[in-house]
Amino acid sequence: MKMVTYIKNSLLLIASTVLCLSLSQCSEPYTPDAVDGTQEYVVEGYVEAGSSLPTYVILTKSIPFTSNISQETFASLFIDNAVMTVNDGDKDVELTKLCTANLPPELLEIASEFIGFKITPETPNVCIYVDLANAITKEIGRTYSLTVNVDDKVLSSTTTIPRHIPLFGFRWDDPPGEPSDTLARLWVNVDDPVGTDYYRYVTGINDKGYVAPFQSTTDDAFFDGQKFEFPLTKAEYPQDDADPSSFGWFPRGDSVHIKWYNLDKKHYDFWTTRDFAANSGGPFSSYTRIAGNVEGALGIWGGYSSSEYNLYCPPK
Amino acid sequence: MNKYYFFLLFTLFSFGLTAQAEYTVSGYIKDQSSGETLIGANIINIDNPIQGTSTNTYGFYSLSLPEGKYNINVSYLGFQSQSFQVDLNKNLNFNVEMSEGVAMEEIVVTSDREQRKANVESTQLGKIDIPMESVKKLPALFGEVDILKVLQLLPGVLSSGEGASGFYVRGGGPDQNLVLLDEAVVYNSGHLLGFFSVFNADAIKNTSLIKGGMPANYGGRVSSVLDIQMKEGNNKKYRAEGGIGIISSRLMVEGPIVKDKSSFMISGRRTYALDLAQPALKGGDFEGTNYYFYDLNTKWNYTFSKKDRLYLSTYFGRDVLVFAQPKRDFSFELPYGNSTGTLRWNHLFSDKLFSNLSLVYNDYQFEFKGRQEDFVFNLFSGIKDWNGKFDFDYFYNNKHSIKFGANYTFHTLTPSTASASNGEVDFDTNFKPKYAHETGIYILDDIKFNKNFSLNVGARFSAFTQMGPYTSTITGEQFGKGDAVKTYTGLEPRVSFKWSLANSTSLKGGVTRAYQFLHLVSNSSSTLPADVWVASSELVKPQIGLQYALGLFKNFDEDNYETSIEVYYKDLKNQIDYSDSYVNDITKEVENSFVFGKGRAYGAEFFLKKSTGRLNGWIGYTLSRTERSFPDIENARWYPASYDKTHDLSIVANYELSKKWDIGGVFIYGTGKLFTPNNGFFFIDQSINLFYGPRNSARLDAYHRLDLSATYTRHPDSKRKWKGSWTFSVYNTYNRKNPFFINYDTNVDFNTGETTIEGSKITIFPVIPSITYNFKFN
Repeated sequence: MKMVTYIKNSLLLIASTVLCLSLSQCSEPYTPDAVDGTQEYVVEGYVEAGSSLPTYVILTKSIPFTSNISQETFASLFIDNAVMTVNDGDKDVELTKLCTANLPPELLEIASEFIGFKITPETPNVCIYVDLANAITKEIGRTYSLTVNVDDKVLSSTTTIPRHIPLFGFRWDDPPGEPSDTLARLWVNVDDPVGTDYYRYVTGINDKGYVAPFQSTTDDAFFDGQKFEFPLTKAEYPQDDADPSSFGWFPRGDSVHIKWYNLDKKHYDFWTTRDFAANSGGPFSSYTRIAGNVEGALGIWGGYSSSEYNLYCPPK
Repeated sequence: MNKYYFFLLFTLFSFGLTAQAEYTVSGYIKDQSSGETLIGANIINIDNPIQGTSTNTYGFYSLSLPEGKYNINVSYLGFQSQSFQVDLNKNLNFNVEMSEGVAMEEIVVTSDREQRKANVESTQLGKIDIPMESVKKLPALFGEVDILKVLQLLPGVLSSGEGASGFYVRGGGPDQNLVLLDEAVVYNSGHLLGFFSVFNADAIKNTSLIKGGMPANYGGRVSSVLDIQMKEGNNKKYRAEGGIGIISSRLMVEGPIVKDKSSFMISGRRTYALDLAQPALKGGDFEGTNYYFYDLNTKWNYTFSKKDRLYLSTYFGRDVLVFAQPKRDFSFELPYGNSTGTLRWNHLFSDKLFSNLSLVYNDYQFEFKGRQEDFVFNLFSGIKDWNGKFDFDYFYNNKHSIKFGANYTFHTLTPSTASASNGEVDFDTNFKPKYAHETGIYILDDIKFNKNFSLNVGARFSAFTQMGPYTSTITGEQFGKGDAVKTYTGLEPRVSFKWSLANSTSLKGGVTRAYQFLHLVSNSSSTLPADVWVASSELVKPQIGLQYALGLFKNFDEDNYETSIEVYYKDLKNQIDYSDSYVNDITKEVENSFVFGKGRAYGAEFFLKKSTGRLNGWIGYTLSRTERSFPDIENARWYPASYDKTHDLSIVANYELSKKWDIGGVFIYGTGKLFTPNNGFFFIDQSINLFYGPRNSARLDAYHRLDLSATYTRHPDSKRKWKGSWTFSVYNTYNRKNPFFINYDTNVDFNTGETTIEGSKITIFPVIPSITYNFKFN
């Protein structure tokens, strides 16, 4: 009888332990004691062969640790007093500064989508630097040098546009596991040539714009020289709630847009470290410093060869 | 330098080679109740304590003295000491069986004074033996008794993190500890991401940690040795012991196969916390998901004659994580763990010359097997050793105790090898295993010059050769099977001394040089199961460690209180880390992501221990600094290593409240853990990205915690066959929210465009009570 009491008491104790664990407050706010207030320049620019998108560069400043970033703060990070030149191997092309203050209101929405946050007539002036005349020759195999003169500083970088290996043979089928009438899996083919190639892709649904999957890059170490079919994972929009049951599958009845890139090693390193950094930290992983390729600044000056695919995911 | 060293050795070995009529008393010291041999028991001539020795790893002793009558005393911690008289006019074989200390009215832990004197009288520096019985009385996380967590309470030993069993010794990395289980190397000593160690307390007889002054018979690591011996098995009677706890249960059975000649021990443990949750998972998104770990230790021994004894010990342990998502037809299985097997043959060539021949197999394997429909993905990594050792203990006379031997290991290291198949297409990283020979020869002499001065001097010569088949990543040269790719050799002198300053006071010092040819680099704050051991190669040079240590040891109150102050300086060469921008990519061999640099560590350790009386325990405090410098990390700036901890205090106490109740307590205070702070954000690809300040330039809050335990034995004096006791334990009694790591959450309000970033300190272990029922069956 006493043993029964012992066991009963033990079970009560176990139950209370589990309860304690589940109810315990395991997180407390953290604010760094002292933050280094130094702001760094941040370059984000692309030169892309295979796309009508003009070559452009966004120049911003980093922001010290803060708990809140408003749209106004975002906008204030953009730098509008730089002079930028791109050399495509043949010639120097100076990029044109394009500012939202000079845009007609009907174009502000397009600019908002491009920059990534809502721009209204009240938003402080936001400028980007664009090869408006499409004067830069965007060709596979070329090297592109970027020089940025800003506040008596010179930021510089080079990138290349590597060969392009397109996707082909798109097909849809049902996702594995539990049957679904609303979701589909997208199969694509790639014929990887011998030699190191670096890939990246983004996906878009309807007119919501492109978004990168949580791991957007790969090299071909695992499949060099192979021709094969694989399922392409849909990238999730950050504003959508994560749903493990639909993760990676495409919604039937929607337009699906794929942008498929090849990029050089440094450009690949940038995205790989950036994707890894976004998912690292925490108890079991050390921090990851994003590997940029711009001398004197954070960020990336990246060459792409690309192809774009506009598909329709058929209803069942 | 080398000539000088060998000259010194020669001089020392020649010392005392005088022709005297000497005889030897030798034998084994054993536990009377179980027949287990006792390691490190002291045997001395009471009238002249300088004439003494201690038992080796197999419980053997040998003491040579001039012809005459002697009063010999044998002592061992927790056992009643024994004295006997010998008339030494011929060589004598004398085995001693000791009985455990009887619980008297006032004195509960009877430890013999001679044994306690070892603190000041042994030449060995920085060695600590941990008796398992005292470990079992201390509070434990989830009630899981863990020897590695007790080690972390000693000065100079740091935990790798909250609740973790990984440890760092005197500024050395986690891979710089030689962890041996019955002479087999254990490459990953943690279960459940390191929260529990693989060492099941029921199966362990003895644990020794050497954190400084590593003797020359140990090689292959630059920081410390953790030498764990399993129980041999009771050779007098059958008995069992075990426990039922919140997350696991365990059972150990031992007994004679042929009484006093042969015995066995088998011990197992398995967790079941998630097994119990299976009904709750049924029908859900993750039905079939489970996690458990288990250990199985076995040992068998056979005494063939007075001169020959054979031991076979094995260990097998696995962690198994099964993740299932049936609705997506997705699942993976992730098993990993160690296995070891040690066959040992003890042979007495003479009363003075003891030998042990060991054949050892050990491996560590990590596997991942994932599947979704036709797509199958496998990942495997591992390390496997075949090891042969021949060790000799030569008890030359009562002034010279010599050890010498040789060791050969064949290593097979499989890097993370990934393969996948998707219908008819196969993918493979095509990484090939790497092979290496490692050899070591050593000799050392423990010399007692006089009553006050003794010296342990030795040297080890190590060689390591990377073998083919291999294709050089530098020159492209192809090496066939059996071709040597790269060879490293190293001389490792080891010297330590003891100088008695006054009664119960001594000064000890030592210098240790050591080579390490195998490396484990982790991108995490502690090591993870998927971390890969890498051999020295044309790309990776061996690590070299040089440690200087000096200590003042003093016992008080008739040796009831042991105290020590030790200082050390450690210089580490060819240290390895990952660069700041390291990305874990299974398609790349990890050595291609290494950066190389140097390290240094220094500190002072203060220790006060009371091992007698109803109240016993210790206080340990360490003041230390550990730094690393890599040319490829922040331009060789010296930065504190991630496990640098300025202050580390542990207070450990056991109190015998009554015969039925034992209470235990542990208090820990340590400087907060280092981390690399987030200095700000930048905006790219329409999203927020973090950028970091200098490596390890910020600290979490100080860590402190109080654990309490109470052990209730209902019938302590019962003669019944079944004896049970309840251990109630509370981890983190006052619910201190010790931050485990900093997490940043970025939230974007897509309506307003406003972004909020919340940093939070995450705590993983609040107050955790636990209860364990332990039993013994005789």
